[in-house]
Parts: sequence; C-alpha cells; structure tokens
Amino acid sequence: MPKIEVPENIFFELLGKRMTDEELVDIFPVAKAELDGHDTENHVIKIELNDTNRPDLWSAAGVARALRCYETGEIPYYDFFSTKDDERPSDGRMVIDDESAIGIRDYSIGFAARGKTVDNDLLVNLIQSQEKLCTNFGRKRKTIAMGIYRSDLIKYPVHYAAVDPDATRFVPLGMDEELSLREICEKHPKGKEYGHIVSSFPRFPYLYDDNGDTLSFPPVINSARIGAVEVGDSDFFIEVSGPILDDLLLAVSILACDMSDMGFEILPVKCRFAKDTPYGREITVPYFFQKPMAASLELVHQKLGEDLTGEECVEALKRMGVYSFVDGGTIYAEVPEYRNDFLHGVDVVEDVMIGHGLSSFEPVMPSDFTIGRLSPVEEFSRKVKGILVGLGFQEMMYNYLGSKREYIDNMHVSVEDAVFIANPMSENYEVIRPSVLPCLLESESVSGHAVYPHSIFEIGKITVKDESDNSGTRTIDSLGLFSSNASVGYNDAASYINTLMYFLRKEYTLAEAGDDPRFIPGRAARIICSGVDVGVFGETHPQVLESWGCSMPSIMAEIDLNKLMNA
Amino acid sequence: MDIDVKNLHPLEVRLLRHAKAGEDITEAGIISGLGYKVGQCNQAFSWLQAKGCIEEVSRTKRTIYELTDAGRAMKESGLPAERIYAFLADKGAHTMPEIAEALSLEKSDVGSAFGLLSSNGALRLNDERKAETAGEMPQLVLTQRYLLDKAAEKGSIDESELSKDDKAAIAPLAKKRGASSSPFRIVEREDVVYRLTKAGEETKEALISADITGEEFGVLTPQMIQTGSWKNGTFRPYGINAPTSRLIPGRRNAYSEYLQWVKDKLISLGFEEFDGPLVENEFWNGDALFMPQFHSARDIHDVYYVKDPVHAKAIEEPWLSQVAATHENGWETGSRGWGYTFDHEFTRRQVLRSQGTVLSAHQLTKAHVPGKYFGVVRCFRYDQVDATHGADFYQTEGIVIGKDVNLRNLLGLLKMFAEEIAGAEEVKYVPGYFPFTEPSIEVHIKHPVLGWFELGGSGIFRPEVTEPLGIKEPVLAWGLGIDRMALMHLGLNDLRELFTPDIDSVRTRRGN
Repeated sequence: MPKIEVPENIFFELLGKRMTDEELVDIFPVAKAELDGHDTENHVIKIELNDTNRPDLWSAAGVARALRCYETGEIPYYDFFSTKDDERPSDGRMVIDDESAIGIRDYSIGFAARGKTVDNDLLVNLIQSQEKLCTNFGRKRKTIAMGIYRSDLIKYPVHYAAVDPDATRFVPLGMDEELSLREICEKHPKGKEYGHIVSSFPRFPYLYDDNGDTLSFPPVINSARIGAVEVGDSDFFIEVSGPILDDLLLAVSILACDMSDMGFEILPVKCRFAKDTPYGREITVPYFFQKPMAASLELVHQKLGEDLTGEECVEALKRMGVYSFVDGGTIYAEVPEYRNDFLHGVDVVEDVMIGHGLSSFEPVMPSDFTIGRLSPVEEFSRKVKGILVGLGFQEMMYNYLGSKREYIDNMHVSVEDAVFIANPMSENYEVIRPSVLPCLLESESVSGHAVYPHSIFEIGKITVKDESDNSGTRTIDSLGLFSSNASVGYNDAASYINTLMYFLRKEYTLAEAGDDPRFIPGRAARIICSGVDVGVFGETHPQVLESWGCSMPSIMAEIDLNKLMNA
Repeated sequence: MDIDVKNLHPLEVRLLRHAKAGEDITEAGIISGLGYKVGQCNQAFSWLQAKGCIEEVSRTKRTIYELTDAGRAMKESGLPAERIYAFLADKGAHTMPEIAEALSLEKSDVGSAFGLLSSNGALRLNDERKAETAGEMPQLVLTQRYLLDKAAEKGSIDESELSKDDKAAIAPLAKKRGASSSPFRIVEREDVVYRLTKAGEETKEALISADITGEEFGVLTPQMIQTGSWKNGTFRPYGINAPTSRLIPGRRNAYSEYLQWVKDKLISLGFEEFDGPLVENEFWNGDALFMPQFHSARDIHDVYYVKDPVHAKAIEEPWLSQVAATHENGWETGSRGWGYTFDHEFTRRQVLRSQGTVLSAHQLTKAHVPGKYFGVVRCFRYDQVDATHGADFYQTEGIVIGKDVNLRNLLGLLKMFAEEIAGAEEVKYVPGYFPFTEPSIEVHIKHPVLGWFELGGSGIFRPEVTEPLGIKEPVLAWGLGIDRMALMHLGLNDLRELFTPDIDSVRTRRGN
C-alpha cells in the first residue's frame, strides 16, 4: 500500500480548512485512506492509501481533493484539458517523438506549469508525488518515468529519440563530468538502479531541446543544467515517458491537477507521436482521454440492495467528484480527468455506495437456506485425532516451509520427491515439506527438557512430486506420528497402528518396507489397505536420530489420509 | 492451634501418643517402645520438629564400630591369623607362598599375620625357612575374635563398651568410611534427645479427643475388600490439599482446537468447507481473480515460484479462454478489461498459494446456487519472518452465492461474523479495496479485550471474476483475520509461537 507524508500546512491549505486527527480518521475512509500517524513535532501528516488502482489519491493534493468534494459536493473544474476536438493553445510548446524510440520506450509527452515559486516543502511534496507515480503506478519507472525541468532554459520544441548510448554524452544531475549514456548506467547511482530498463536495447532514450541541450536520459537521470530544479524556481516543464500511452496521459493529468490545486498555472504542450494512436498522431497535453461509464439503475439496486433514485445516485457521485446524469434508467458517469479506474458499471456502483454513505445501508442476513458441511477429510481427520489423543499423543502444528537440511539431508532421503521454491527468501524456507516426519523430529531435537515419553502427532499437508497430476505435484493430507522413550520399539509402533486401524474400521496387511533409510532395516513395514500402500511405520534409524542430535530411541509412522480414507 | 490432627502421618500420631510431657524422647526409646525402624524414627522426629511439636534438648556425639559385609564373612571364615595358625597346626610347616596359595589370602595379609603371631611367640620360622607353630594363640587375636562375635549379635559395638585392650585390638580392623575390605567401619553418631513442646502436648490432647490412634487404615487393598477386614477399623483421612503430581495427557493442539471451533461456527452458519492443493498456478492465484498480470502484488518479490515443474501442463477450459478474454477486452462481462495481451505462458507458471481467495475462485466452477462455502487454508507469504509475519499462515475465507445477495447481505454477514466469531461489541464498515471485489468493504470491530481492529475484508466479486468462471449470480466474498484473536485466545503475542516445535510449550498451552 502506498504511504505518503505531507506537511500539515500544505495539506490543510489544499483541503481549505484545518481538521483534527479525529475528524481525519472519520473522513479518510471515503478516499480509502487511513491516518497512519501525525508527527506533531515536525508538523507532518502520514497517510496510508489502500486503493492500488487510484494513483490520483497518492498525493496530498489528491487526498485533499477527494475530501473536499465529499464535504462540499462541488466537482472541481480544470480548464486546461484538451480533447480531440477542443485543443487548448500550446503557444509553440511542443514535444516531438522520433520513431527511433518505438519498441524501446514509445512515447514521451509533457506539459508546462508556472506562476508559483516553490519553497522547500512544496518541492519535496512535488518530488514525492512524482516518485509515487513512477514507483507504484509506473512499476519502478518501467512503464512511467517522469522528469521535471526548468522551462525557462528550454528552447522548444523538445525532441525525444533513441540514440547511440556511447556517442551521446552529457553531465548528469549529481555529477560534474560528462558521461556517455552507457557510462551513466554503469557509474551513476540512478544508472545502476534504473539502467537495466533500457540497457538491453541498442539505442537508449534521450530527451533534448531544439538547441541540442540535454533534458534527460529517461527513465534514468536528468541533466545537471535544465534538469536541476531548485527552491526558488517557478517555471517548469514536466515530461513523462513510457510504453503505455494511457498510463502516461493519466500520470500527466494527475500531476497537472495536483499542481493546479497548488496554485500553478498549467500550460498545455503539443505532442507529436511517431506512430498512430487511438487519439491520432498529434494531441495537446493534458489530454482528456477517458470515456464515460454507464451503469443501469437496476445494477445499482441489485448490488446495493437499496432502491436509490436516479437523483440520489447523481448526488452521491457528485460527492465522489464524478459528474453524471440519468437517462432512461441508466446512469452515465463522466470519469474525472485524474481517474481511469472505471472498468465496469460496478465501479460506478461503488462510488454511489461511498458517496451515499456506507452507514446508511442497513445490514440484513442472506435469506437463502444452505447446509453446513465439513470436508470429508476434515471429518476423517477428527476421528483419527480422537483415537491418537486417547493413545496419549500430543497434537502438534508446524510450518510447511523449511530447509533442505531439515527435510532431506537429516532424513537421509532422496531429494527427488521434494518440491523446491525457485525464489526462496532464505535457505530456511526453501522447500515445501515432503513429509510430516522431519517436523516431528525437529520437535524431538528441541525438547530434551520435556518429560518422556514424547508421543506427538500432526495431521497436515505435505507436497510431493507426482508426474500424473497437471501440476506435477500432489498435496497430501498426511498423518505423522512419533514416540520416543528409552524402551520404545517396533512392537509399540505396530500396536499403535493396529489400534488406529481397528477403530477406523480399516483392514490392513503389512509388507516389508525395503530400503527406507529413515528406519532400521528389518524393523519397518508398509501398510497395505485394500491393495493400496497407504503408509509406513517402524523404528527410527539411529543415523536419522544422530543427524537431528537426538539420543532417545523412537518409532514413527506416516499415513496418507486421502488414500486411507478411501481404501 | 493451627495443626490439623487429621493431616498427621501415622508415624507422628503414634509417637505423640506414646510420648509423655516432660520426659525424654530418644531414638532408642521409640524403637523399643513403638517398634519403629531407624528411618521411621528420623522421619517422625524431623516432621514433628518442623511442626513445632517436639524440640531438641540435647545432642551427644559417640563413635560406633559397625560390622561390614567383609567383617561378617570374616566372622564365619576366621581372621587371617586364626586361619594361618589353624592351617599350620593341622598340616605342619609351610612356606609363606604355600600358605597364601592354600588359604587364598593376599601375600601381604599372610605377611602381617605372621608378623603378629611370631612376635607373640605363636609361630616361628624353622631351618627350612618354613613357618610352624611355636606357642599359644596370642591374647590380641582372641580379643579380636571376641569383638567380631559380639558385633555380629547387634551389628555394631559402641566405643564406650570397649576396654583399653579392646580398643588396641579393634584398631587394626577398623577404618573410617572404611574400605569395604575392613571388617569394621568407624561411624560417628549423634544421640539426640527431644521433649514435647507445649504445641506438642496440645496436639497430643487433640489426637486423644479426636480418637485418632495412628492405627487407622491407609491404602485400601483388594485383600481388605475380599476379607472384609476394612470393617474392623477406620480409614485415615488424607490431606486433600497435598501437592499433586503432574500428569502428561494425550491432547489436542490448542491452536488447532481454536481453528476447529471457527470451522464449527461456520458450519453452524450454513457454510460448506472447501480445500485445495498448496501448489497453484498464476491462473488461479491471480488471473482468475481479475488481477492483471502486471499487478504489483504479482511480482517475483511477492509470490513463491515453484522450481520444478515451473509450469502446469494446462489450464482448464473454458475458464482459460474466458478469463484471458476478460483481461484483454472484458469478454461478455460488460467490462472494458485491462486492455493488454494476456500471457498464456505466465498463466501456467506455478506458485505457492498466496491467498485463500484462490480456493473461492476454484469453488465458483463447482458451486451450487444458492451456496455458502468457506475454507481455513494455509497460504504462503513472501515476507521476512517475524512476530507478526509467518512464512505460511492460515487464512479464513469464503463466499456466498445467491440470486439476490447484495451489499446489505454482505454487511449482515460481516455483522454476524463479528458477533458470533469475534465477540465484537461494536461493528464499523469502511470502504476497502481488493482487485477482485467491487464494491469492497472492510469491517472493523471493537473487541472487549483487543479494542478496535480490522477483522476482515470483503466485497461483491467483480463480474469479471464470476462470469468467466460460469457464475451469473452475485457472489459475496469475505476473508477474516483470525490470527489476532487466536493469539489472544492462547495468551500469546508472537505468531511464530502458533507453530512452535517445542513439546513442553504445546503440552502446557491452553485456550481461554
């Protein structure tokens, strides 16, 4: 979940009034936000945003806008958006994308802003919004990278192209010397972090103005001159690059609305693409690209269980910043410029729900009659547990992930049957357990202080390889039992199994266990039920006990309950 | 008086009733008067002294010579000096080695015995350097024989009974804490004299008036029942507050019992249990839940990938085609979809189930309408393991399918869970976000112990989730975070403790 930190004064100024922490806690849910903390010493409010599909809310301006709408029911109006048929003047500001970038990072678009001198708080806040958009929404700059530049130093049009990474050189932000694009990837800290996004291509993206002065090497680093924004600046050019045009347009719209809310004047920029897009070869940015979303009143009634009128829905949507009208039993919602999360009519329904007030919906129980039932294996497991508890066994519960050392090496079994994790976080959690027995032995190895005998069991899941299954694996509900004591032996194990089988009404025969390294040779048996091998029991081999650092003789058994149940 | 006479041991009772005020109480007196063994005497003295019923008035040290096992053997077979003298008198002169050989004695013992006997003129060496008898058995050996015989009667001899000559005779035969080869062991004894205290006298009076004799029956034996002998006396009352011994019973695991309780609750509310394998694929783990394949929660850093086999063989149809089309363009769901090209290889990639909702998605393909389903299922989280994060953990999830189920039913369901399962005092709903539900609701509850916390997340499955899996009816989906309540129930504050391998800790753990 994205988290943001905003200076109190900026937030309350955007909100249009001050609020207490209690008031914030109460109202934040309408923006699916939570008050994560309030640092009263440094006057910083910490907010956690829960909607990962609403990047417009990941900024102070965005949260404040949502709350303002909800409280006042007034939809903000932004006059700087162009559409296909209605272009705002760009006064010669232009970005021209070259076809050399296609297939590498197709698009670069931008807008300009002026009229407010940034102080430290505002600059930090602006950079935070940029970072959230690029990191969370833009997948760590893979799909969105954003640069902020000093507009007064730029000679338009700005050019975006893919260039020779060795021949193109400039002084990157944070350094004094000129480096080639490839050298930046190798030497600059941002190059090391983000260079991999483009470094496999023969040519790298490059942004420069009409004088040939460098703006940046997107998505990696700005230039040290035009790309060095500082406190005191008031004229900006904001550029966004990436492979998905709608994501770029949305990111631009969000930042333009945020900056407008902060008091900037937004200046449109004409963008010329190197290929056809759904919006043509040339558009003026910020650009309103969203299509309206329709939802029938019937859908609203069906989902919410409340027969809201068309007016009530329109009113509720207004509080969510969404303009709408009802025509012939259908709500048509204009999607706000800074949002693109309306995929289906149900998304309109949710906004109606929040706008109408969740607390106004009265809870009622579903009226359908249904029969409750445990799964068959759960019922069977409960029977088994009852018998084992009666035999003096303590039920245990274990984690399902562990190390190769525990599950394989200490058991002296083959590694073939176990299912490993390709990307383990640590060696301690690299295999799904192929058996319950190593878990029981771990208990034995850490419980030397506990009074003997140690009679323990677990019923839980294990996973082994199985060619015949679609996944190549099989998850088994497995019973493992273990008992250690100075005098325990094969006969005890055989008696436990016999008692268990008797009360489960399962006839069984025994077969030689053969070469099972977990047991003393000749003191282990396979359990055969209706011709099916359902498990094994016997005296634990001292080599296994030694590997686990145990010195008490023990017996153990493991039974496949899915097989036993159906045998 | 704070002594409950019913709690006195028969050894104490009989001693108290035997003792007279102002008179000495000694071990010898009790042994002869009540027939106690030495150990019983010591027990009775120490218990009564601890209770303040008797007090020590004097303590005298004395030395006694205890006959050892070697001494008892020597009494029968003879002292080495006796045996050598008798052998030579009977068989005539022999060399030292011959004597040692014939009598199975150590050469050193033969040597020292010969030294003693020859210095007193009883033996001598002849010209052939063989030993032979020369006179009477010396007094010292006769005294030693007398002492051996005397000690054999009582087991020991008190030093005060010995004359000067006796002491000289016993000295070579006795050792302190002796080597077992010596016939006597020197032991320091203390004679302690006790008297009844005032409390002791009162206790004695109380015993007499309660008619407790110390002869009451202790353990009831089968013989007593068979012969009817129990009718001829009374039973000694036991101290009901005596310390108990620890028993180790066979037991269920307390956490597992809690999960069982949750399951039973859900059964009672009309839910049917589902379950499934731990290894899933990206299709069910994410695609079927309408999470776009580029969703940030589907990153390599959020899900465990299976090393081998990397891919499932196939994804079941028609689900695959319908879900893929829904992602790309909305299919027939009325959605515009995510607008990207669905990756048919990625979707087969195998992962460890990361959320319980996966099983809800599976259930949709085989669900009845109306239907209520749930699972308490193990999921795997790609996270550092600490007190609040386990590598694997249980999630409690479920769905409700019905022709007319809606938001208000969802709120009702959450309220029921909050009250029935969590014992909530107050319930609060807030809008939430899950990729697979719209609308989405979080339920927060005020718990009597834990205060306000988020009990769970829920919502109405998006049509993009249900319709490609063959369900036209609305589906309520919910998940409950029961771990916090489980920890509270078990008195724990670390999630890792739920799966501890420590046997003793599991044996003693109990729920509230």
